[in-house]
Amino acid sequence: MSDMVRGDTRNPLTELRRGVLEHCVLAVVSDGESYAFDIVRVLASAGELVTSEGTIYPLLSRLRRDQLVTTTWRESNAGPPRRYYRITEDGRRALDAFAVDWARFRDAVDALLAGGPGRGETGGR
Amino acid sequence: MDGDGIVRDYLARLEAAAWPLQPGRRAELADEVGEHIEAALVEAGRRDVATVRNVLERLGRPEEIVASEVESDAPPPTWSGVAPASTPRPSAWGPLEITSILLLTFGMFVVPFFGPILGLALAWASTRWTTREKLVATLLFIVIFGLPVLGLMAVTSGGSSPAPG
Repeated sequence: MSDMVRGDTRNPLTELRRGVLEHCVLAVVSDGESYAFDIVRVLASAGELVTSEGTIYPLLSRLRRDQLVTTTWRESNAGPPRRYYRITEDGRRALDAFAVDWARFRDAVDALLAGGPGRGETGGR
Repeated sequence: MDGDGIVRDYLARLEAAAWPLQPGRRAELADEVGEHIEAALVEAGRRDVATVRNVLERLGRPEEIVASEVESDAPPPTWSGVAPASTPRPSAWGPLEITSILLLTFGMFVVPFFGPILGLALAWASTRWTTREKLVATLLFIVIFGLPVLGLMAVTSGGSSPAPG
């Protein structure tokens, strides 16, 4: 029975990416219309965020379904029509809320890693 | 195999891996990924095998892409990689569990008091039953074991109390 429990160690970076990537996509499309290929390239060039570019497409599909982004088809002079993504009002609200949460989260982790208040001070005074 | 052959092969693998998705979405995902490959090759300005392989490597394995799609949806019941909870639970009734219930019920008449005690011990030794089921067995034990004891107490107290009057 115990052999069913595999040593499935979770990589913290993988978990973090999964949690924040959706909002990073929203951030990329928040400035105007973007072509999917360009969204993927921006995210990939940001470093650390994307390990496999292809996994952005399922994410874009979910954002469409959740109506956090909207899309328009536009003619392209280099092949078939292209789908362009743009953030919706709901998407912008989600992104703003995430920005606040993320800043708090980042500051809390940074403070702990830097040995902030409460660390190494107990019994010092 | 030339560059275009490798791309066709990759897209075929993607379609095959995408069986858990809705047919419409499966075709859409293949289109999106195909379009991405095309755009990347146009950007690179070359379609040789090395360039194609580089583009596909950056995309990731088809199975990985589908897995991340499935992850973001409600997992289909047959998707073994995502829904281990859907595997049926083995039967709660083995020889030990049946013996336990028999001892907890009829055991009282066969071996008074010791029968249900053994039945309770077997219930808690069971590897098939959950804690909840073991607690139900314990409740059964209390009722079976407790009722005669309570009855006995009622009879003795009922018989002794009117004595002074």
